[in-house]
Amino acid sequence: MSSQNFDGDRGGGAGQLGPGSVRDVPPPPGEQIPLPEGLDYDKLPEAVREELEGSDPEVIDIRSGAAGSGVNRCPKCGASETKPLSSGELMCMFCRHKWTTERVEEKYGLGEGIDKLVGIVRGAGAADIEDAGDSAHIVTFKCIGCGAEVAINTENSMSARCHWCRHVLSVNEQIANGAVPDAVLPFRISKEDAIRRIRQFAGRRSFFALKAFKKEFTPENVLGVFLPYMIVDANAAAEVQGEGEIETASYTEGEGNNKTTYYDADVYAVERKVKFLVDDLPIEASSQRSNFDRKANTNNIINTILPFDTENAVAWDASYLAGYSSEKRDLNIDGMMPVLEDQLLSIARSEVLHTLREYDRGVRWDREHLDLKGSRWVAMYLPVWLYSYHQKKGRERGLLHYIAVNGRTGETMGSIPIQTWKLLLAALTLGTVLEGAAIWLIAMFGG
Amino acid sequence: MSGEEQDWIYMLLAAGPTGAALFYWYMYRFCRNTDKSHGFERETAIDAEEVECTDYKIGENNRTRQRSIRGENSKSFRDRVQRY
Repeated sequence: MSSQNFDGDRGGGAGQLGPGSVRDVPPPPGEQIPLPEGLDYDKLPEAVREELEGSDPEVIDIRSGAAGSGVNRCPKCGASETKPLSSGELMCMFCRHKWTTERVEEKYGLGEGIDKLVGIVRGAGAADIEDAGDSAHIVTFKCIGCGAEVAINTENSMSARCHWCRHVLSVNEQIANGAVPDAVLPFRISKEDAIRRIRQFAGRRSFFALKAFKKEFTPENVLGVFLPYMIVDANAAAEVQGEGEIETASYTEGEGNNKTTYYDADVYAVERKVKFLVDDLPIEASSQRSNFDRKANTNNIINTILPFDTENAVAWDASYLAGYSSEKRDLNIDGMMPVLEDQLLSIARSEVLHTLREYDRGVRWDREHLDLKGSRWVAMYLPVWLYSYHQKKGRERGLLHYIAVNGRTGETMGSIPIQTWKLLLAALTLGTVLEGAAIWLIAMFGG
Repeated sequence: MSGEEQDWIYMLLAAGPTGAALFYWYMYRFCRNTDKSHGFERETAIDAEEVECTDYKIGENNRTRQRSIRGENSKSFRDRVQRY
């Protein structure tokens, strides 16, 4: 089984490069990459030329200072067993010492300089994911306590205990499978609080809830999950063009049943331009979670509990994941760029709305343009309490309903499966009562 | 019976089916929340410069029976139109 080894010796082993070898060090920005003989830069298609001439994204190296050896130690006693607290601190399980990791926002100036962003700036944890097959998620550590080899399956865990000396080993360094983000936002809402919120949310909707859901409802099974997101800052400008109408007159013609109201309006060509900066826009970095097909899943529920107080995120430290599960990022910046552009255009449309008040007959936008000058991408794990219920639908796959609690703010949203016949019956009963009242009114006053 | 009175009768008769449909639609959304999503347009920190406006009259739309412009989408921020 192939795996990535983090035993401290990265082995340089450059050796001699052949003519087609990958260069260890990319050329500095602006330097032309030498082309094979017979190929001329000027004759290449423009898109290929731009790709070759473009500089690599600027990378922010966000590290917590956690040991590359895989053992996170208490700064006071050196023990490797730690526990995250709801206060955002880590606590040593031996000497009870508590400490916090530095907030990345201040340490790396992530909230600043958005107006000066040009091109793509990304954290080391937002690098492209290398597809190296199923074994890419296995990371092997050499335990510094006893020298034993310990494997961690990063698909579902970021730490493991050495089976010989009981040291806790954690994945601290960036690996190219998307499992290690730049930063993590610790849980603040406790499990008991989350259970209370889920119970209250479902309780308010229990009358029309599916009978099986009510019977099997056990919010104690809620799971604390760290979900992968990209937190994006953007420096953008947008333009929108369309037509707007202002009413100049309205008049009614005809009599009796043939009355018709007509409107006169002046038509204007409307154009708006706006430059704006966006701070900490969260975008789903998992292809599964970013699929919002509402007939097939309820991922919109998890999307709704955004945003998080991402300014309180700390540099990646696997110790914060102890006792929780996590999902890996599987989307790269290129794949998420259309989502960012889409959201920036929506923001631009929202920002220009207040300038359209005089168009009392409304505005129809026909064309829009986005100029994304720069963006900064930081990969982050965000904390979510997730309760799920699988609704079976005959031979079909069924539907997975979520009730999600924001692990920081406590905002709760959910999808409760419905007892359809019960809701239909209630609607028909109400309709019958209303219809009966209408008929009574007509009989009393209409005759 | 006058035309206006007949209109009122039709509207009252429509109350039953309309009420039933509205109740079903409201309760379905209340339980399933299929319409909910992150309101990033208002929940994200945005620092926008003053909007640059260019408006000029291009014509008139007279004797129209429509109450608003055809295709009004100024508040449908997430409906995409042609990119240029």
